[in-house]
Amino acid sequence: MIAVETVNLRVWYDNKEVLKGVSLKIPENVCFAIMGPSGCGKSTFLRTLNRIIELNENARVEGDVLLFGKSVFKMDVVEVRRQIGMVFQIPNPFPHMSIYDNVALGVKFNRLARSKRELDEIVEWALKKSALWDEVKDRLKERASSLSGGQMQRLCIARALAMKPKVLLMDEPTANLDPVSANKIEELIDELKRELTIVIVTHSPAQASRVSDYVAFLYMGELIEVGRTEEVFENPKNELTERYLTGRMG
Amino acid sequence: MLRKIKEKLFLLGITIATVLTILPLFHIILSVILNGLPVLLERGLAFLTDTVAPPGDGLGGIGPAIVGTFVLTFLASLMGLPIAILTGIFSAEYPNSLIGRATKTLLMIMMEFPTILVGLFVMDIMVIPMGRYSAVAGALALAIVMMPYVAVYTEQALREIPRIYREGAFALGLSRAIVVFRILMGMARKGILTGVLIGIAKVAGETAPLLFTAGGSYRVYFAGLDRPIGAIPLLIYDLVQQPYENYHQIAWGASLVLMLIFLAIFLPIRLSIKEVKM
Repeated sequence: MIAVETVNLRVWYDNKEVLKGVSLKIPENVCFAIMGPSGCGKSTFLRTLNRIIELNENARVEGDVLLFGKSVFKMDVVEVRRQIGMVFQIPNPFPHMSIYDNVALGVKFNRLARSKRELDEIVEWALKKSALWDEVKDRLKERASSLSGGQMQRLCIARALAMKPKVLLMDEPTANLDPVSANKIEELIDELKRELTIVIVTHSPAQASRVSDYVAFLYMGELIEVGRTEEVFENPKNELTERYLTGRMG
Repeated sequence: MLRKIKEKLFLLGITIATVLTILPLFHIILSVILNGLPVLLERGLAFLTDTVAPPGDGLGGIGPAIVGTFVLTFLASLMGLPIAILTGIFSAEYPNSLIGRATKTLLMIMMEFPTILVGLFVMDIMVIPMGRYSAVAGALALAIVMMPYVAVYTEQALREIPRIYREGAFALGLSRAIVVFRILMGMARKGILTGVLIGIAKVAGETAPLLFTAGGSYRVYFAGLDRPIGAIPLLIYDLVQQPYENYHQIAWGASLVLMLIFLAIFLPIRLSIKEVKM
């Protein structure tokens, strides 16, 4: 089953075209990596999938994004974001809220829990899924800003998972973390992709090869190559891909 | 050598200029304390609760004026704060819209607008139709003076929140109302509170907007929202114009009370501003 499909996706910022017609199929329950040099449009691509790009008034989108066959542009935007969670490059838990509230927030306001007990259970479940529970179970009422960078990022993953999304978008989730924390996130991705579809953006081919089942290579807003990760890495069909993978390009 | 002398002269110049700028502040504080403190010490707490004495006969107190200042400030906050905070939210959330841009410019003008014109405006729309000065008219004038401060501080506090938190909130599928009121307002609460307190401190000391609206009342405590009401600054303005020595003393005492109220609101703000950083 195809989880996410983009059809001739084009994005402009003002008059600058940053995504030049990208068509991709992302299968269910895999980790799908989008890689490419900075400025290639990979973040923009990701932001279009859950329509968070619409927060940018200068952005214009053409083409279509299908979520399990349904156009996200015809769905209610709240429903889209409920089904497609997102983790950002900079860990952004809400610093004025407790660890518990950060995870509970989306569930509470989207009315996904029927009782306080169910909410408690969802929070615990999400924190366990994001491998943070053991570190925070005795300090759930403490501010999220008291956590380390790596813990914050796992809290953001828990916050997204609590909504029980079908797809999780990750925009360079380890770019601002130390190697140990980054490693933990990568292990987590491996764990999570059994139950949901992960689309991860990374500027590091090494990371893409470690975590992903499929990989797409974007360059200057165009899709250069896509396929199973080992095939693309072992036997790139396009010369640009090969140059990128061998480090001869940004 | 010449360069060093020039540098010394420059340093001396800016030091003198700085001292000249700040000197009046210390002079005001010192003379208010020197003249006001004896009055307060002589009358004690009664100065805060009694009514003004008759001309030429003792001091009495400024109770009605203190109550009036609190009533007016409270009413003005009740009218002004909700609208001002919503205005601040609007111009922070829609900064590029035509109304959003216009609002920001207009707020800046409103902040520097002569407050006596606000008083005249309220006199025209409320005092003349009602046929008398009143607490509501005074409070409305103060609310108009207060609103731009609160709106501008709210807007700035919201705009200082890094974009990643807005995106994070929207990515959770939350509506704009929840994002703004539950998340962004929570993160910006110190900045917004600062604006609120600055607005309150500002109007608690205002005289001009009250001249044609509140009317003044120094022998009767609160008489009703549609009746004239006193205020400490207004009392000072009225009393210093009277030819009686005891009234001048009361005015000094009232000045000290007003200064203490102002400092009590203002100093905590200034000291806490360091903490606003995220």
